[in-house]
Amino acid sequence: MIYITLVCAGGMSTSILAKKMEKEAKSQGKEVKVTAMSESAFKTYKEPTDVLLLGPQVGYILERMKKDYEPKGIKVQVIDRMAYGQINGKAVLESALALLKES
Amino acid sequence: MDLEEQIMNMIADGGEAKSRAMEAIQAAKRTQFEAAEEKMRECEEALTRAHQIQTELLTSEAAEPETVTVSLLMVHAQDHLMNAITTSDLAMEFIEMYKKMNTILSGKEK
Repeated sequence: MIYITLVCAGGMSTSILAKKMEKEAKSQGKEVKVTAMSESAFKTYKEPTDVLLLGPQVGYILERMKKDYEPKGIKVQVIDRMAYGQINGKAVLESALALLKES
Repeated sequence: MDLEEQIMNMIADGGEAKSRAMEAIQAAKRTQFEAAEEKMRECEEALTRAHQIQTELLTSEAAEPETVTVSLLMVHAQDHLMNAITTSDLAMEFIEMYKKMNTILSGKEK
């Protein structure tokens, strides 16, 4: 199982994308769990995360998040602006999985 | 582009504008003023795009009210836009302040 966590200011818009990503993963027969939440909720989130994706609206926290979570083995990336606007679950899922393969 | 996509784009553009404005402040803090100006230009561009979508939504609501359903997500998009405008306005002030601080600290101002 691969765990992808999406984070934005309130976790609202990312939850729409999370649903699409999970649906896409299911149709591809991949075991992926996608969760969306706010940045503050993530601080106390106890469940596992392999890839942490940031909404473009919180792109400016990328460096801080990398510093905090990369040492814990979590991959961190900002979601592509275009894919986000189009709610393109497939594109975002693919880029997240590609990020995992890099390691 | 359907309504949901328009709203998501408004969130993404508004959000991007805020991100760039925050990065501009961070650059100014490191006395990288040219980079800060560049970030602010990108911020402006994103704000213009978000505004454009807002205008489209307002226009279609005025023309055919039944085609635009107000949702919580749409309100949230407005939130993002407002937030971006405030952050961008303040970012310009912050950059000016950092410039002034830099001048004073480097002893150029008497």
